[in-house]
Amino acid sequence: MKKQLFVASLLIVFSFPSYAAALMGFAGSSMLMTEIGEYNQELMVNYAPTVHHAFGVEVMRMSPKGSSATTMTGLNYTGLLKRWNLPAAQANIWVMGSIGEAKGQFNGFSYSPSIQFDYETTRLYFLAKTRMVRAPGMNNDVAAIQAGFSFFETDFDETQPWFVLEAKTTRNMQPSMQVTPALRLINKNYFLELGMTNPFNRGERAPRLNLMLTY
Amino acid sequence: MMKKLMIVIFLLTAFLQASVGFAASIKAEVNGMVCAFCAKGIEKKLNAMPEAKGAFVNLKRRIVVLELKEQQDVPLTTFEQVITDAGYTISKVQKVEQSIEAIKTEMKANP
Repeated sequence: MKKQLFVASLLIVFSFPSYAAALMGFAGSSMLMTEIGEYNQELMVNYAPTVHHAFGVEVMRMSPKGSSATTMTGLNYTGLLKRWNLPAAQANIWVMGSIGEAKGQFNGFSYSPSIQFDYETTRLYFLAKTRMVRAPGMNNDVAAIQAGFSFFETDFDETQPWFVLEAKTTRNMQPSMQVTPALRLINKNYFLELGMTNPFNRGERAPRLNLMLTY
Repeated sequence: MMKKLMIVIFLLTAFLQASVGFAASIKAEVNGMVCAFCAKGIEKKLNAMPEAKGAFVNLKRRIVVLELKEQQDVPLTTFEQVITDAGYTISKVQKVEQSIEAIKTEMKANP
């Protein structure tokens, strides 16, 4: 039981959110990103030598309802293709890619390129992302959009609460459509999101947690 | 006699003001700074500078301030590089004779 708790704690700390505005920290920083949910668990740790590039390792586990899970482990690259720093907003185009090995229901070489666009002000947030998730016999390509708003503006040293709604489709996944309303808390030390996937469908309802830390 | 006394008082006042005066700060308006988590790098890097007395970030006003220790200076290009490395763009930067506390007070007075 203690071992299970330890593993669960590690998963909470070391799994990663697929969809957050900042996919890397500042030049010379390391970032840890996690997502843990019933259908998808992800982990990524990366290092950004510059503000445009980050290199890391990633573990992603796809757990379709009623089927065996597949875990992909590999190396990851994140690139900031374009950034617009506007007076009261920021917009980004990111490219990401992972290569590695799949194990579980599907086995073999896995790859997962993706592209993301996001736009954020101190009160509003929008994100669109598409990601290929492939391995021999496996196609779990993902498309997702997120939109949200903050309840109020905060100072730099305060925690800002946001409401964020995500709609995500995943090929050959059960459930293929996942809608997740979430409460996001952001301050300068962490990014924490607590959501409920498909809250109005009793058979698919599942909590989800995202956490990001930068060092 | 009165004139000499006035001069002495003036010089003494000027000396006291100089001795307790604020260290210079670098104050910048920064574009794209909308998220505390994302802007953490600015504060961290500025505070790590040996010349730094303190750093201040305000998202609402989009300003970043680096307060310098007495008799210390940082080239504006070095300051700008920190902001750029954090992923942001400076729209205006200047050296000011204000402490961070004075800037905070000024901001409270002019919300």
